[in-house]
Amino acid sequence: MLERYWSITSSLLPFLWKGFLETLYVSLVAIVAGSLIGAVIGLVRSQRVPVLTGLFGLYIHVLRGTPFLVQLYVFYFVLPNTGVSWLSWDSRTAAFVALSVYTSSYVAEIVKGAIEAVPRGQSEAATALGMNRLQRLWYVVIPQALKLTVPPMSGVYVMIIKSTAILSVVGISELTRQGEVSILRFPRDVLFIYGLIAFIYFLYCYPVLRFARWAERRVGAARIVDLD
Amino acid sequence: MMAANPIVVVDQVSKTFRQAHGRGEHRALDKVSLSIEPGQVLVIIGPSGSGKSTLLRTLNALESFDSGRIIIDGVSLSDKKTDLNRLRAEIGMVFQHFNLFQHKTALDNVVLPQVVVRKRSREEAVARARDLLAKVGIADRASHYPSQLSGGQQQRVAIARALAMDPKIMLFDEATSALDPEMVGGILDLMRKLADDGMTMAVVTHEMGFAREVADRIVFMDEGRIVEEGEPGSFFASPSHERTRAFLDQIL
Repeated sequence: MLERYWSITSSLLPFLWKGFLETLYVSLVAIVAGSLIGAVIGLVRSQRVPVLTGLFGLYIHVLRGTPFLVQLYVFYFVLPNTGVSWLSWDSRTAAFVALSVYTSSYVAEIVKGAIEAVPRGQSEAATALGMNRLQRLWYVVIPQALKLTVPPMSGVYVMIIKSTAILSVVGISELTRQGEVSILRFPRDVLFIYGLIAFIYFLYCYPVLRFARWAERRVGAARIVDLD
Repeated sequence: MMAANPIVVVDQVSKTFRQAHGRGEHRALDKVSLSIEPGQVLVIIGPSGSGKSTLLRTLNALESFDSGRIIIDGVSLSDKKTDLNRLRAEIGMVFQHFNLFQHKTALDNVVLPQVVVRKRSREEAVARARDLLAKVGIADRASHYPSQLSGGQQQRVAIARALAMDPKIMLFDEATSALDPEMVGGILDLMRKLADDGMTMAVVTHEMGFAREVADRIVFMDEGRIVEEGEPGSFFASPSHERTRAFLDQIL
């Protein structure tokens, strides 16, 4: 029995490795792009900029209030067929954009929450010293808000890594998709192959969580920003 | 002391706080007028909610006001052309809860605004900061973070930070109210020294001993209005208004 599992594993490993690399790639792209977009949106929302704050609010509530699978279908099936030329992207682009946009909605709320959680007295003192709005944000508020984002941000990153599995439904050859293809080759070993895949996801997510715990202790941040 | 040109002029200033959802409004300042001359120490007293902190905070435009005029060193706060940030750099403020930058050491708290606002070189700012930290008596805590300092020590750093901007006026908003009793005296001594050095000061406080000894003038506020004002001697000896008497009876 063990021998059989060993031979399955060794024959699938290069194939699953390719899937893992795609999972790694798409998750890193979504995390980087989503964090950049989300940071800008969260910053703008925390500053109560007229019009933009409301518009971004709608963006965030729609993205957080609907299933990612449905959003993925919109990016994959609907947008490319709207006739707008730059939206007629291939399936891989659709998947990358969908996941990045989804990530940005969570990051934006964390960033906004963290900025608002910095005590008012901090920016008030900076104001009284003659700093303008940008100086207050840059030198006083943002450095303190960054610490507060560490714990919730790592939670979102792990969630996004796991959400990449959903991209298998639009044919992205990531880890889950490669696993499903493997099952066609070894239909009797469904349980083992899914177990193997779950283990690989775990090997990716666990260090992220450990790193987050370490970083959290390092910056001494309190858990004050809720994910939902 | 007897300069004819006041550095602070508050003229018929009113402010109303509107509560959310239209549930009534609160008159925080009601036609308040006063002036402070260079080198003078003005002490503002009154029960909580009387508008004394609001008044102090309108002086550096941390609070807006609805009507009237405030003129600081010849510059009108309500003038649209006034650069409020530039004006605020000339006005030091010390808060009840210190408000030191939590992510900066004591030294860097004093250095940061000099570099950012006054555009001093870091070396120059550090030298000045060390000088001031020594002057307020905590040179040995320069590399500590605010969380590692007692309330009294934090307030000393906050005073040094405000002084580093070379302000023309210093505002003290209940600077000793959040301190342990044994820390109060040290901060008051520091404020007294500042006054003796000729600093123009507006002080909101509950410390009547300080008011009596240091103030050039005392203003008593209640319900957004200046009820009574005068020199400390006559103010404490023979307050002319019933509400002033009642207030002084309560806290003396």
